[in-house]
Amino acid sequence: MILLALLAVVAQAPTQDPRYQRLDPETRARVVAIVDSARGAGLPSEPIIQRALEGSMKNAAGDRIVAAVRRLAVDLGTARDALGSKATSPELEAGVAALRAGATPATLTRLRDLRKPPVTMALAVLADLVASGVPADSATAALLVLAPTVRDADLVEFRRAVERDIALGAPPASATSVRAAAADLNATGRNAQPGKP
Amino acid sequence: MFDQQERDGEDVVERVIHELRRPVYIDRAVDARVMNEIAQPAPAEPVARRSVARVLPWLAAAAVLGAVLIGRPWSPGGNGADAFQFVLVAPQAASVSLVGDFNDWDPSRAPMHAARGGVWATVVSLPPGRYRYAFLVNGVEWRADPSAPLARDDEFGSPSSVVTIGGRDS
Repeated sequence: MILLALLAVVAQAPTQDPRYQRLDPETRARVVAIVDSARGAGLPSEPIIQRALEGSMKNAAGDRIVAAVRRLAVDLGTARDALGSKATSPELEAGVAALRAGATPATLTRLRDLRKPPVTMALAVLADLVASGVPADSATAALLVLAPTVRDADLVEFRRAVERDIALGAPPASATSVRAAAADLNATGRNAQPGKP
Repeated sequence: MFDQQERDGEDVVERVIHELRRPVYIDRAVDARVMNEIAQPAPAEPVARRSVARVLPWLAAAAVLGAVLIGRPWSPGGNGADAFQFVLVAPQAASVSLVGDFNDWDPSRAPMHAARGGVWATVVSLPPGRYRYAFLVNGVEWRADPSAPLARDDEFGSPSSVVTIGGRDS
């Protein structure tokens, strides 16, 4: 009996989330349906809710909010298919960003295979590089080289270095390849065991 | 006259040199006395020892505490969260709020504080993840963070930025 009551509470929880009150009734009903559907498919619901809240805060029209939320749910599913069922919510969100930046699902899978989890930072840096003007294929090539060895902090530094170079006038693709080679060299040197030739 | 003074000066220098070169007499028993003093046991200092004994447990506890604190990375937010500072330069602004995925896009939850020169700042604890956010200036104007990557998918007609907190740094 108690278990049934708990299940009923859990089942009703999404619609009772007070954050939904910030959406108008029609938009709320459509967003709740998408969130429930995503949750049923094993996808994280929080990023979808946050996207709806962003739209509400920015006074976007209901249709626009629903379209953004639906698109995000679809992309989360694509990222999950590429990264695997064990992928975390941050990994899936970064995967969506990488997909929208132009990376293919196969690239996401390759990065997951190359890098010890989590792959959040590698995917995020790929997306951020493209946002900075780096061609998607150049960013992808660089991340595939760096993924196996370079630490998260060094990936961030790599991105900043590329952005600095671009701001100083370097062609984005050239800056990316040069900085990737340097980061790879540093990682190789750091990972090399001392005493061995 | 100057020659006389010069000769007197030379005499003084020579006398000093002579004095310095004179062998110094040292009692042959000095070595023995010094060694004898060293060999004597030090006088007991009960008060001082009691003080040390009282302090020792505290020193040990402090050492253990220090080892624990130094060995564990500082994590103010718990759950592996990192304190992350957001900064916006807006000299003309009357108010600035930080809104994003980490506070349900609620301006009341992260008001920023103004410092000199129109620098607005706030610190937020963020667990590993990727977050969209923006600054809301004077309650009406949306601004992206000029020091962070832009969110490419700007679906609502105003810019957002993204910050990624890594969960791996080995």
